[in-house]
Amino acid sequence: MKNLFGFIAVSVLSAVSLTTSNTVLADGHLSLEGKKIGVAVVGTQHFWDREAFNGATSTVEKLGGEVVAVDGGRDNQVHADNHDILLNSKVDAVISILGDDSVEPKFEALKAAGIPVFTVDHPSQHAINNTTSDNYYMGTTIGRYMADAIGGEGKVAVFNAFENALRICGIRTGLWKYVLQDYPNIEIIQPELAEEFANAPEDARKQTLDLLAANPKGTIDAIHVGCWDQPAIGVVQALEEAGRDEIIVTALDGGPDTLEIMAEENSPFVANVAQQPNLIGSTAAMNVARHFHGDSLLPQTYVDVVPVNGAEGAKEAYKQLGYGEL
Amino acid sequence: MSLETLSRRSSTSLSAAIGAIPLILFVGLLIYFGLNAPNFLTVTNLKLVLVQSLPVMLICIGLSAVVMAGGDDVVSGGIDLSIPATTVLCAGIMASLLSAESTGLFVASIVALLAALLVGGMNALLVTRLSMTPLLTTLAMFVAVVGVNNVVTQRKRINVDHDAINAIREPFFFGIPLGLILVALITLIAFHFLHRTKWGLNLQAAGGSRDAASISGLNVNRLFGQSFTVASVMGFVCSYFVLARGAGSSPGVEDNLMVEMVLATFLGAAFSPRRVVTMWGAALGAVLVVAISVGFKSMGVNVFWTGLIKGSLIVVVVATAALSQRLN
Repeated sequence: MKNLFGFIAVSVLSAVSLTTSNTVLADGHLSLEGKKIGVAVVGTQHFWDREAFNGATSTVEKLGGEVVAVDGGRDNQVHADNHDILLNSKVDAVISILGDDSVEPKFEALKAAGIPVFTVDHPSQHAINNTTSDNYYMGTTIGRYMADAIGGEGKVAVFNAFENALRICGIRTGLWKYVLQDYPNIEIIQPELAEEFANAPEDARKQTLDLLAANPKGTIDAIHVGCWDQPAIGVVQALEEAGRDEIIVTALDGGPDTLEIMAEENSPFVANVAQQPNLIGSTAAMNVARHFHGDSLLPQTYVDVVPVNGAEGAKEAYKQLGYGEL
Repeated sequence: MSLETLSRRSSTSLSAAIGAIPLILFVGLLIYFGLNAPNFLTVTNLKLVLVQSLPVMLICIGLSAVVMAGGDDVVSGGIDLSIPATTVLCAGIMASLLSAESTGLFVASIVALLAALLVGGMNALLVTRLSMTPLLTTLAMFVAVVGVNNVVTQRKRINVDHDAINAIREPFFFGIPLGLILVALITLIAFHFLHRTKWGLNLQAAGGSRDAASISGLNVNRLFGQSFTVASVMGFVCSYFVLARGAGSSPGVEDNLMVEMVLATFLGAAFSPRRVVTMWGAALGAVLVVAISVGFKSMGVNVFWTGLIKGSLIVVVVATAALSQRLN
């Protein structure tokens, strides 16, 4: 009997190690040699978009593939139309980064032409796989951090243009609101604000100045940006211009530009959750290679995020994510 | 042959040569793309270019009507820059109403059409009654109407999944999308009205020479005003195509439409023997502008350079038109 258990244990162990070594072997042998991979990105002005794009393109090239790149200049319709060019370039697969639902008809056309689509931050029924951050964790964590930062009570204004338009934003802002349900003394100021997709910092600066003019001191405690943090740059500027140092700012994405603002002394920008856009782009490219290798992929691949609380947290995250020292 | 006749002849041929510059430039670019951009000269690409150019083509037809009625001097003549804004407003209104499930496409269309007619009517009123410059009036209207659309949509993306609208982008006949067939029909109908009816000929007479048209008893202002209504209706029609291609209304669509509309319409003048804006020229111009855009992107040219290139092409096209007119 003992022997039997021993046998089973050894068999299971060797099976596990075999599986592991197979995966390692497969990863080492992943290749996009001879493949033409289209990479469509909605824009390259912002750190996040640019890094996800760089991660995807450099990994495709590292794996021996050829990149056909198109950039939407932060215009969702241009981004969508760019997929036509990839279709016409007869690429072997497409990595599509961000974009609203105007890309869906294009994904459908690519799929119909037998070109597999891999998305970044855009779950789609026409895609093989979507690589994204753990948006669930991002939404709940920023909800808790923000509630703590204002002592569990107060009035919050939120920039929330994309909750209904982009699924990732629906998750992030939706779960932020879900956490706030347990804080009956926190009130979200209505109507919610809607930030611009292009030119976000300047637009958010103007909207915040208007918001501050309409809400005198003591009537507003926090400003949250529901899905990203480029608008937060403008929000912080407006708070400084108006001298409203009683208001805190929270947002999501945590690129080097916003971590630097958070690390400043007495910064109003107190909490964030940092993503790893380069790794996300690179993982999407690896998934393309896995697909061609014959591996079956799960519909979603999640990439870890780094919660950032306070100025010290910002400095740590900055270092941890390889941006340097602050 | 007198010296004077000689010099007039040489200036006319010089003017014709200058007027042809944009055309030569664009044909040159197309040949360049054909040789250098992968898969540029293929049936698939031709179809993609045509489909992408449909919204621009529709608003170009609208703009060409205004230019025909008001004359093609860019500053003092006829121009309507508000058409792309009308399009996004109509798209925004329809998307908002359709997403509230109680409203059907018919009611949504009526509301959008009324909004478009209001914009066209305001333009007509300001330009013909208050004698405001069309360029400034319609630019101001563009800003105002985009503002109204921001209020309507709260500047948010609104998804539209309606069978009738989806049908526009779907294959209808031998793989040809319904939208392409519809635009071909609309173009033929517009051609008939603008170039084959008495009203269309009067419209052109009004734009050709305001004074001569007035003396011969035409109500120049009324014709000019009507052209703004035509433009706003084309803006309304275009909104279905914008909704179809984007599966909904996205903020910011108006900017690209504006640039491509102006470029295409004035480029189109290079196709006419007299270098004037015509409906055919504008429609063909729309296809060319999109083809150039696709060509640059297929070659991997940075999107920001594409912006600079488009802007420069507008300058070249408008400048050569002005120069060739002055020499004529």
